[in-house]
Amino acid sequence: MAKVEKCSCGNDEEGLLNRLEEIIISFKEKPGALIPVLQATQSLFGYIPQEAILKISEILNEPLQKVYGVITFYSFFSLKPRGKYLIRVCLGTACYVQGANEILTALKQQLSIEIGETSPDKLFTLDVGRCFGACGLAPIIMVNDDVHQWVKPNDVKKIISSYKNKKEVKQEEAKNGY
Amino acid sequence: MQITINNKSYAAQENETVLDVAKRNGIYIPTLCYHAKTGQAAKCRACVVSVEGMRGYQTSCNLKIKEGMSVVTDSKEIKDAQRMVVDLMLSSGYHNCLACDRSGTCELQDACYHLGIEKTTFSDHPTGIKDESSEFIVIDYDKCIKCGRCVAACNHSVVNEVLGFGFRGLETTIMCDDNIPMGESTCVQCGECVQLCPTGALTDKKSRGLGRSYEFEKVDTTCPYCGVGCQMTLHVDRAKNKVVRVEGREVWPNNGMLCVKGRYGFEFHASPKRLQYPLIRKNGKHERATWDEALDLIAEKIKTTVDKHGPDVFSALGSGRITNENNYAIQKFTRAVIKTNNIDHCARTCHAPTVAGLAHAFGSGAATNSIDEILETELIFVIGSNMTEAHPVVSYYVKRAAQNGAKLIVCDPRKVDISHWSDLYVPIRVGTDVPFLNGLMSEILNNGWEDKEFMKNNTENPEEIKKWLKDFTLEQSSEISGVPVETMKHVAKMLADAKKVSILYTLGITEHVCGTDNVKTLANLQMILGHLGKRGCGVNPLRGQNNVQGACDMGALPNVFHNYQSCTNEQAIVKMENDWGVTGLSRKEGYKLPTMLHKATTGDTKILFCVGDNTVQTEPNTAKTIKEVEALDFLVVVDIFPNMTTEYADVILPDVCFNEDEGTYSNLDRRVQFLRKAVDAPGEARPTWWIMQELGKRFGVDLKFTSANATWEDMRQSGTIMGGITYDRIQHIGLQWPCPTIYHPGTPILHLNGKFTRGKGLFSQTHYRSQAELPDKEYPFILSTGRRLWHYHTGTQTRNSIGLENIFPEELLEISPVDAKKMNVKTGDMVKATSRRGTITLKAWVTERSPEGVTWCAFHFREAHANVLTNDAYDDVTETPEYKACAIKVEKVSDGVAVIDRGFRQARP
Repeated sequence: MAKVEKCSCGNDEEGLLNRLEEIIISFKEKPGALIPVLQATQSLFGYIPQEAILKISEILNEPLQKVYGVITFYSFFSLKPRGKYLIRVCLGTACYVQGANEILTALKQQLSIEIGETSPDKLFTLDVGRCFGACGLAPIIMVNDDVHQWVKPNDVKKIISSYKNKKEVKQEEAKNGY
Repeated sequence: MQITINNKSYAAQENETVLDVAKRNGIYIPTLCYHAKTGQAAKCRACVVSVEGMRGYQTSCNLKIKEGMSVVTDSKEIKDAQRMVVDLMLSSGYHNCLACDRSGTCELQDACYHLGIEKTTFSDHPTGIKDESSEFIVIDYDKCIKCGRCVAACNHSVVNEVLGFGFRGLETTIMCDDNIPMGESTCVQCGECVQLCPTGALTDKKSRGLGRSYEFEKVDTTCPYCGVGCQMTLHVDRAKNKVVRVEGREVWPNNGMLCVKGRYGFEFHASPKRLQYPLIRKNGKHERATWDEALDLIAEKIKTTVDKHGPDVFSALGSGRITNENNYAIQKFTRAVIKTNNIDHCARTCHAPTVAGLAHAFGSGAATNSIDEILETELIFVIGSNMTEAHPVVSYYVKRAAQNGAKLIVCDPRKVDISHWSDLYVPIRVGTDVPFLNGLMSEILNNGWEDKEFMKNNTENPEEIKKWLKDFTLEQSSEISGVPVETMKHVAKMLADAKKVSILYTLGITEHVCGTDNVKTLANLQMILGHLGKRGCGVNPLRGQNNVQGACDMGALPNVFHNYQSCTNEQAIVKMENDWGVTGLSRKEGYKLPTMLHKATTGDTKILFCVGDNTVQTEPNTAKTIKEVEALDFLVVVDIFPNMTTEYADVILPDVCFNEDEGTYSNLDRRVQFLRKAVDAPGEARPTWWIMQELGKRFGVDLKFTSANATWEDMRQSGTIMGGITYDRIQHIGLQWPCPTIYHPGTPILHLNGKFTRGKGLFSQTHYRSQAELPDKEYPFILSTGRRLWHYHTGTQTRNSIGLENIFPEELLEISPVDAKKMNVKTGDMVKATSRRGTITLKAWVTERSPEGVTWCAFHFREAHANVLTNDAYDDVTETPEYKACAIKVEKVSDGVAVIDRGFRQARP
C-alpha cells in the first residue's frame, strides 16, 4: 500500500485534492482499488469530503452510489471531519452487559456531544463500535489506537483530560491513519 | 421429476426452484425480494417453507428442487413464520394502503391479504420522509422494505448504476448517487425501479392519485419512440379517453425495460395542440374545412397538375414514425394511382446508406442479428453511436453484457456516455471511419488473423480485398484518423481474438458524405473476421425511429416496392401490376428526398404530399429547405401537430397517433410488432390509410384500404419476405422477417451459416473522403449533431408531454473545456453559433464529451435547432446529408448563471 506522505503542496483543500488525484491514479488499474483509495483519502483529509467522492468515482469509474455505500458501511470511514482523537465505545454484547451504555452517556455528558459529533475544540469525536474483539477486557473504549479496559463511568473524566493535556501527538496518529 | 407440496405430487423440471413449481400450480407463497428479473435474493425471508429432512426453514425462492422432495407451505408453523416476517416488515416504516397508488398491485399487500394480517402487531415507525425531487418518480421511504429489487434493477437490469444501499444495519436505506435527492442525481428516470418495486416505495409521480391499477383498461402496444420497438402496456382511463400510466411488458425485445420517453412521454396524444380538423390555406390563413372539401381540393389539384406536367411533378413522403400500413398506403397511392416512383421518407436522412451498403455487400439491407444476442457475444464494437441517449434500451443490454464480462470497444469522436462502461474508448477524428477500419483490416490480414475458411467459402472476391488492403499501412490510417498505431493494433487484436463480435453502429457512420462507404467498410470487416450468420455476431445498425425499418420494408423508397422488390425490374413491375390490378406503373426510379425538394426550385416538383416528416426542421440548411418548400405549387401535410412544415402547407390533414388506430411497426431487428387502439383520436383525425383510400376513390381507384388490417393484408398478398406475418400471429409477440409463409417461425439471424441473401458476400473497395466542409480560419469548429435522451425528432411528441421539458428545457451547444476556456465560456452562457448557412443562439454546455475543436447540438427545439447550420452536402450513393460534420464559429453573447456540473455518466449538465 502506498504510504501517504505529508502534502508538499500545502494543506489547503485544493492541494490535498491534487494529491488525492495522484493516489487514485496510482491505484486505478489495480483490482479492488476502492477500499485502499478510501483509506488513503481518510488518512489524507481526516475524513472523506464530497469532492473526494466525486473524484474517486470519476477516476476509478465506479458508480457514486457504490463509493458512498462502501464509505457508509465501514465505520472506519467518516463523512465529517473528525477531531484529533476519535473515541469509540464498544457496544458489543459483552461490553453492553458490562455497562457500556453508561460509559457512553458519561462521555456524551462530559464532551457535550452526541454520537458522530465532534467537540467544538476539534479535539474529540465520539463514535460507537460493535465488538472490538477484546471481550475479556469489557467494557472497553478506544481513543485512536489506545485501548482503555474495564472502564467505569467515573473514569471518563480522567481519560479525557489525559488527552487534553497531552502535549505532542504525531500527525499520522491524529488522522487515524495506518 | 416429481416433488410433493403439501402432500400432493407435482411435476417439475430440473433447475426449477420450489417457488417456481408452487407458482405454476397456483400455490401462494409470499415473496417480496424475489423477482424473475432480479434473481434469487433470499433476503426478505417471507417465502420460507419447511422441507422434509432439512433443518430449519428454507427460503423457497432459491431452493432448487430435488427428486422426491417433500415441501410444506401451509402448516400453521410455516404460516406463523411467514406471518412474523411480514409483520415485522409492516412495523418497519409505515405501510398504509388507503391512499397508495400501488394498492391492488402491491406484493406486500398481497402477502398481508393471504396471511390474514390487518395491521402490524408491533408499532410502526413513520418518518414521513419522501423524495419528490425528481420529475417522474416518488420515493416514499416509509414504504421501503429494503428488498433490494430497485437496486438490482438499476445496477444489473438497466445498468444505470444510480440507486444503491447506503449505511448499515437498521439505518440501511436506498439512495441515489452519494445520498442526494433523486432529482439532483445522475438518474435518467427510466423507471425500471418503479416497475420492479414490490410496494408503494417507488411510484410514478404522474399517475399519483389518478386511480389504482385495477381501475384502468390495459392495452398492450409498441412504443412510438426509437427503433428498439419496446413492448409496453398502456393504462387507459376510458372515461377520460387518456393514457394515465405506461408499464414495460416483460417480453422481447425490451423485457420490461423502457426509457424516460417511452415510460413518461405519453401525454402528447391528448395534447390540446393536436391537429383535429382538416385545414385549407385561404388568404394566407389556415381555415377549418370538411374532409370532403380538403380531399376534393387535393384530388383536383393533383389531377390538373399531373395532366399538364406528367406524374413526376408529384412527390410523396412517408415516414419512419407512422405505421407500416400507412407507409404502404402512401406508396401504393403514389405508384398505382399517380404512376410515379417519387416516394421517399426520412430513412433518407438517417439509414439509407445502411440499406444501400448492406444490400450491396450481403443482399439484405437490415440488421443481421437480434437485440437479445448482445447478451451472448464476446465483444461488442460500438462505432458512431450515442446509444445511451438514442437507443437507451439497447444500451442497457450492452452495459449488462459488459458487466457480465463481454469486451466493449467504443469508437466515437465524442466521449459518449456508453464509453464509461467500455474496456477501450477509441476517440477518432470526425468522418475518418473508412481509413480507421481499413487500417484495422490490414493489420488483421497482415497477421493472418482473418477467418480464411469464411472468406474462401462465403465471399465472392476475397483475393481482391486482400490485394487492395495490402498496401494500406497502419501509419497512414493513424495519421488520418488520429488514433495511435498502438491503439489500432490493440483493437485489431481484440477483434481477432474474440470468437463472437457484434458491431453496433448508428448515424455516426451513415450521416457523412461517405456514409455508404462507411457501411460497406464495416461489412468488409465482419466478412474478414467471419462474424456473420452466427448468434451474437453481425453488422447491426440501430435504426433511429420507431418504424424507419418498416417504412423501408413497405417500399416508401424511390427504387423499390414493398419488401424490396425492385421498381425498375420488369418482372417485379409486371407482378405488381397484376397484384394491384393496374397498368402503366412507372419504369424509372423516383426522386430521392433531397432531389424532390431541389427540383421544386426548377419547377420539376410541383406537389409534395408529406406525411409525418416535418421536412423544414429535419433537412439540412433550413434556409434552403424553406426556399424549396415555398417554391412548391402545392404542399399537403399530414401530421399530428402543427410544426415548421405545416406553416407552409396549402392543406393540413390531421393524422391519428400511435394509440389511436391498429397497425404495426418494424423495429431495428426486423421484428414486426403490433399496435393496438387504446383511445379515440381527437376531433376528426383520420389514419393515413383512410386518407389514401378516399383520395384513391376520387381518382376512380379502390385501393382496398378499408381498415389497417385490410391494408396490411393487401400488402401481404403481394409481399415476399412478410408474406407469412398476419395480425393474428403477432398479437402477443412480434415476428422477425423474412417470414415468407404462414408457418414460418421468422428469422432472428440473417445470412445463417454465411449463406448470404445475395449468394456470397461481396467485398467493396472504399476510399477516404474528408467531410465536405472542413473547419477553417473563419469557421474553426466542427459541428456534429444527434439526439438527446429527453427528446425525440422535432420535439412534437416530447415537448407536448409533461415533464421532459422540465428536465431538458432548451438546446445546448456542447463545447470542450479547452475551447471554452479560450473563449471564456462556461456552462449556461449564451453563445451564437454561425455557419455559412445561418445562425442560432443558445446556451453552452462545457463538457468533456466534446473533444477539442468539436461542438455538438441537436435538432429537437425549433427555437434553436442544428439544421439551421448543417451542410446540404450528400452521400453520393444515397443522398443522405452530412449532418455529422459542418464548420461553424462560436461567439459568446452573454454570461449566464453557472450550473454545477457533476460531470459524468448522464445526459445533461
